[in-house]
Amino acid sequence: MVLQMLVQIPLLALAGWWLAPLLTRRIVDTFSTWNRSGISGILLASLVAVVWMLPRALDAALETSWVALAKFTSVPLLVGMPLAISWPRAGFVVRGVWLVEAIAMAFRLGWLYTVSPARLCSNYLLGDQRQTGKVMLAIGVAACLLLAWKLVWGHNRIERVR
Amino acid sequence: MASLTMYPEDERLSGGNRAAFNLYIVTAVILFVLMMLVGLTMRMTQARWLDVPPDLFYELLSMHGAGMVGTMSLATTAVMWFFLRKYVHLHLWAFLANYVLFLLGALCIIVSIFVYGYGALWTFLYPLPVHGVGMWTADSSALFMLGYLLIGVGSLLFYLDAAAAIIKVHGNLGRALGLQWLFGGKIDPDHPKAVVASTMVIIANSLGILAGAVVLVMSLVNIFYPQVVLNALVAKNLIYWFGHMYINATIYMGVIAIYELLPRYTGKPYPISRPFLWSWAVSTVFVVVVFPHHLLMDFAQPRWLAIMGQIVSWGAGFPVFLVTAYGALTNIYRSNIRWTMPSRLMILSMFGWAAGIVPAILDGTIRINSVMHNTQWVPGHFHFYILLGVLAMALSLMFHEIGSRAHAAPDSRADRLGFPVYLIGGLIFVFGFLDGGRVSVPRRMAEHLQAWTFSDRIGSIGAILVVLAMLYFAIRITVGLLKPPSPSWAPEPVPGPIPEPVPSPLVSPAPSPGVVGVGTTNAAG
Ligand code: HEM
Repeated sequence: MVLQMLVQIPLLALAGWWLAPLLTRRIVDTFSTWNRSGISGILLASLVAVVWMLPRALDAALETSWVALAKFTSVPLLVGMPLAISWPRAGFVVRGVWLVEAIAMAFRLGWLYTVSPARLCSNYLLGDQRQTGKVMLAIGVAACLLLAWKLVWGHNRIERVR
Repeated sequence: MASLTMYPEDERLSGGNRAAFNLYIVTAVILFVLMMLVGLTMRMTQARWLDVPPDLFYELLSMHGAGMVGTMSLATTAVMWFFLRKYVHLHLWAFLANYVLFLLGALCIIVSIFVYGYGALWTFLYPLPVHGVGMWTADSSALFMLGYLLIGVGSLLFYLDAAAAIIKVHGNLGRALGLQWLFGGKIDPDHPKAVVASTMVIIANSLGILAGAVVLVMSLVNIFYPQVVLNALVAKNLIYWFGHMYINATIYMGVIAIYELLPRYTGKPYPISRPFLWSWAVSTVFVVVVFPHHLLMDFAQPRWLAIMGQIVSWGAGFPVFLVTAYGALTNIYRSNIRWTMPSRLMILSMFGWAAGIVPAILDGTIRINSVMHNTQWVPGHFHFYILLGVLAMALSLMFHEIGSRAHAAPDSRADRLGFPVYLIGGLIFVFGFLDGGRVSVPRRMAEHLQAWTFSDRIGSIGAILVVLAMLYFAIRITVGLLKPPSPSWAPEPVPGPIPEPVPSPLVSPAPSPGVVGVGTTNAAG
């Protein structure tokens, strides 16, 4: 469970991020009018990511080949890539809201996975689920500390956003 | 350094800024009066002068707790915004988004309480919200929590915008707090105290809101999927992390008014110093970890957390309080301060903060806490420094601002009567609670024994005076704010050469427009 949720899916998103520079300027510009301050792109990425947070979707991706295909294409193309395009356009507030929500989500899911009496995915055992929960709690704490350190002591440059 | 000019140009409100500030303040004073009436109803019920049924009492208590905490945050956010915008560029949309989300959140809370009967109090302690035993449903609790989420998102937007603006000017939050000067170096005398205090609030309250975002959603999960059972102690820790921080932050937002306004009324500069920076730095850390003092009676709480709660309680409020109170007293000493409403309220707030801290520190001591915590001692201590401390800070800015519109620091005969009514009423009211605590009257009880009613009745009389004074203040402030801006400030900046800044004019014999000495005749009264 840890491997699929917290390693494979983030790596797929990272692959999409790295693919973004391959898009031509024209394609990026076409979408930019609908992506002011990167909000639409970040929203798209978040909504698609929500699907891959559902235990049911994770199960299906292991059991059904077309769902697996959907995961391998949608995560890079609809999560990583839009994030890569939109993040630089997003201002401090948009990024801040997204990061706070992401950290809160790590804590919530971590908590949920460690206390849920039932197995949420039929492909993973309860122990696996609890392990994933603990890792998510650790990720939440680490992200919090990192962000706090960056804001309090780091070098931050805030520019006008497009 | 804070300006000595009574009404400096860079504070002038016009257009959207003025409308937004008026919205905040008028909404806040109306809500204060309404919530105080709710409080008075409860106090008179405890005194057995009114006969409110217990289920309605708990609805009123939920409304009063959530409503007062939210309104206090709304009012002090306006204080922070009013001064911080002079030093960094804040966006009006963020300030307004906070207001709109606050109203939407308040609507959810009001509907959940008065339409669907929610009565699990402002602390929504798990698992009470899902155990309404027929008085309220889990859905109404969900609506109440949704209201909190909306209010929290609004605050977060405002803080993020403020953080962005501060970082843009100062590079990072550490420099804004002045950490670079803690151990040496020449402190920039123009480093604004408003920036230091706002930075502390942004750091502490954002962490609190994060804790709230986690526990609120988890409580919602529990409401809709009761199979997911939460650890009640973890939930309580997170709830107090969020709730305590949220109300505590109001002091640190409100105190900005003292730093900015006091020197104008005393005519003496109020310079920034190393102890000041140290106190805010230490409090930034302490305020984040002080909340366990709400859980000293929870025997299952790890021992080290309880001990930390006690030690940090003794230290958390003290540094900022001591430095502020000492700074304020030295600022007033031999200053020839002129007593008008803003200056009176500022000094009252210092007293309320100082005196309210004493019962708070006592209650933060484990030995005392195990006897006093569930008694009326607790509402006694927090009403002390909220009513006579924080609210007085916010009111001082409101009166100052209506002074700027009327060209004179407010000091009418009615003001001079309203102030002592508020002060004396407030003291009687809080001592009613503290005396209840002394004789072990439990808090949060809809029905009181006959033997307890002496302090309830005294408290009710004090509360009536407070409500009357606040009603007067609310009308005075609303009318004052809705007046058109003073003629000199009315038009938008005229094209052409920028006027020279007006020289410091505390008591100017012939006051220049917009720069009114405190000694000028009172046109507002
Ligand atoms: C005339 C003014 C006020 C009156 C008459 C009043 C009255 C009361 C009463 C009777 C209680 C219940 C006490 C008990 O536990 O037995 C209470 C609780 C409370 N009040 Fe006030 N109050 C006033 C002002 C304020 C202000 C300005 C605040 C600002 C934040 C405030 C915040 C609270 C809170 C947070 C509680 C605790 C609610 C709970 O226990 O769940 N009150 N008040």
